[in-house]
Amino acid sequence: MLAAAACGHRAAARDATRDATRDATRGVTRGVTPGLASAAALARMPWDSVVARARGSTVRWLLWRGDPAINHYVDEWLAPRLAMRYGITLDPVDAQGPAILNALVVEREAGRTVGTADLLWINGETFHNLRREGLLAGPWARSLPAAALVDTASPIVARDFGEDPAGYESPWGRVELALIYDSTRTPEPPRTYEALADWVHAHPGRFTYDQGFTGLAFLTGLMIHLGGGASRFTGPFDSARYVAASARLWDWLARARPDLWRHGAAYPQGVAQLEHLFANREVDFAMSYNENEVVSKVRDGALPATSRAYVLRDGALANAHFVAIPFNAPNAAGAMVVANVLLSPEAQLEKARPDGWGDGSVLAVDRLPPEWARRFARLPADARQVPRDTLARYAEPEASPRYSELLQSDWRTHVRTGTTEDPSAGGDPESRTTRPALRSGP
Amino acid sequence: MTARASGSAPGAALAGLVAAPVVVGLGYSAAAAIGLAGPAARGLSLVHIDRVMRDATVWRGLAWTIYAAALATALATAAAVAVAIGFRGTGIGDRLARIAALVPFPIPYVVAAAGAVLVLGQSGLLARLAAAAGVIHDPSGFPPLVLDRPGLGFILTFAWKEVPFLTFVAVSVLATRGQQLEETARTLGASPAATLRRVTVPLLWRGLAPAVVLVFIFIAGTYEGAALLGPTDPLPFAVATYERYQALDLTLRGDGFVLTLLGLILGLAAVAVFEWTRARAERLRS
Repeated sequence: MLAAAACGHRAAARDATRDATRDATRGVTRGVTPGLASAAALARMPWDSVVARARGSTVRWLLWRGDPAINHYVDEWLAPRLAMRYGITLDPVDAQGPAILNALVVEREAGRTVGTADLLWINGETFHNLRREGLLAGPWARSLPAAALVDTASPIVARDFGEDPAGYESPWGRVELALIYDSTRTPEPPRTYEALADWVHAHPGRFTYDQGFTGLAFLTGLMIHLGGGASRFTGPFDSARYVAASARLWDWLARARPDLWRHGAAYPQGVAQLEHLFANREVDFAMSYNENEVVSKVRDGALPATSRAYVLRDGALANAHFVAIPFNAPNAAGAMVVANVLLSPEAQLEKARPDGWGDGSVLAVDRLPPEWARRFARLPADARQVPRDTLARYAEPEASPRYSELLQSDWRTHVRTGTTEDPSAGGDPESRTTRPALRSGP
Repeated sequence: MTARASGSAPGAALAGLVAAPVVVGLGYSAAAAIGLAGPAARGLSLVHIDRVMRDATVWRGLAWTIYAAALATALATAAAVAVAIGFRGTGIGDRLARIAALVPFPIPYVVAAAGAVLVLGQSGLLARLAAAAGVIHDPSGFPPLVLDRPGLGFILTFAWKEVPFLTFVAVSVLATRGQQLEETARTLGASPAATLRRVTVPLLWRGLAPAVVLVFIFIAGTYEGAALLGPTDPLPFAVATYERYQALDLTLRGDGFVLTLLGLILGLAAVAVFEWTRARAERLRS
């Protein structure tokens, strides 16, 4: 099947080779390494030519290296296979969204047309910002042979925080926001946001959320629910909708605040701190933007053995994460080969194993060869995981990144400091961003 | 003359090499603070400076940072001086005391901060011991020492971490310059108390003061410890700076560069205060 998909690209092969040669020639005049071809030009070449260019190269991949299960998958499963099959040396380097953006901006400002990174692990706000700043190469992702297997019917995989990837990034995995509880401490956890509010009031000091990415996702999900559900948050950012929904969110948080951990005067800096509080019984809930992470965390001893993940029936935010190629990648061909391997059924299945990383697949089962479909169906389940049908039933796609940006900014300015005024009272949030007098206080 | 000139050229080159990254960083920060560089830079604008200047949370965070860094530095200095003066002999007890004061030296700051969370947190070692001893009913009844507004965990951790450096300097100062001057004072009839007050302490002050200023600047600028131990509100200055530099909203990145410049001003102010007090002390002595 992959070979058949590759054949489909041969029609444009001659033109693409000419484009790539032209790019390389231009590159010499710009100080670019001879032989360098842009990802867009490579995307029009036959796949065999891309693989030939990638063979024996090194791919530097900027990705988050904070999880031993992910590191093990990348270092022990992926890297040896890339080396064996393509002679590619994988060079994983620790970096996250904001750091990646800052580094690429600096490289662009320094005039570095040949950068240092070939592949980036990103999604959501980072993709939005990188695209807005023109820091990504492409389009290339749809040209990968394995792209034919991707579940493009799913809005969670086909769009990135409501934005069309447009071939500038290739999906790698999908996750869903889950709450984590201890089945011995909380045998009947609240199943809706309203029930959660009641639970918080009935158990003062036992609930909080973190100030980082996961906590922001929890707040975003709550805002979407209070704002009428995910269907009202599709499409471009709607300023009026943000003002109305966030006003309800601030009200919910203000009512919960006295009964939050430390009376809402302090919040864990990140999800790792929240997990620490949960593991040490200071609070009764943790969170994870990977519904299966609880399994590896229990295995590593970071969470109690009786920890369980679950999703709220009001809807659980879900998103896909992607790999992208920076505008100045020195080895776009190598990056594309790695991205294609990441999308292969073999790599996706390995990644989904609950005894490993436990990351969701982005492939459509009905597009897989029958043998691979059977293997995915036989994936072992862990009692701590959320059942797959439950995940599918309550999954909701992320809204435009602008909602999260404003939510983060307004939460930091007002909720964190205990300001009682409604941050939404500052008027149109888009104009508040550029009008400092209103941004600085309600 | 020729030898001196040739000797100073490599020195100047080395100094330039060391200073260059700071100067470049400073220039880049200044450009980004006025919208001429960095993500989402859209041309000359004072919007970042204006926004930071009007943001009360920045100034509260800055005030907290100065308070916490000053208190941690004062505690560390007091402990270092006490060790240097109290255990300056050659006996085994004195040596052991000096070695004990140096124990925290090799421990990385981030490990010290993470360790402090495990020891001082409300579910930490002290809380559990207190609960086991019946002092408190439940570990959650332990006073919050981590992520707390007074910053007790932060202050205690950094004071503990800086004691070795300051002790090392204080002991060196007394060993190299103190003994002879103290013996001279005593020979001239000064009492032990007068020797301590008129010779030992001024000697320590002159030798230790630059290190004290360095420690203050370092603690005020530290990120990891502040992120793990500092309060959510007021937000420690370094955390507030990094937060803006990492914000999802690109228009806030420029604010982070303004805070970087403010941090630099804080450091320069600390050096200026030190130089002023030293010059004043010199004048009083002469």
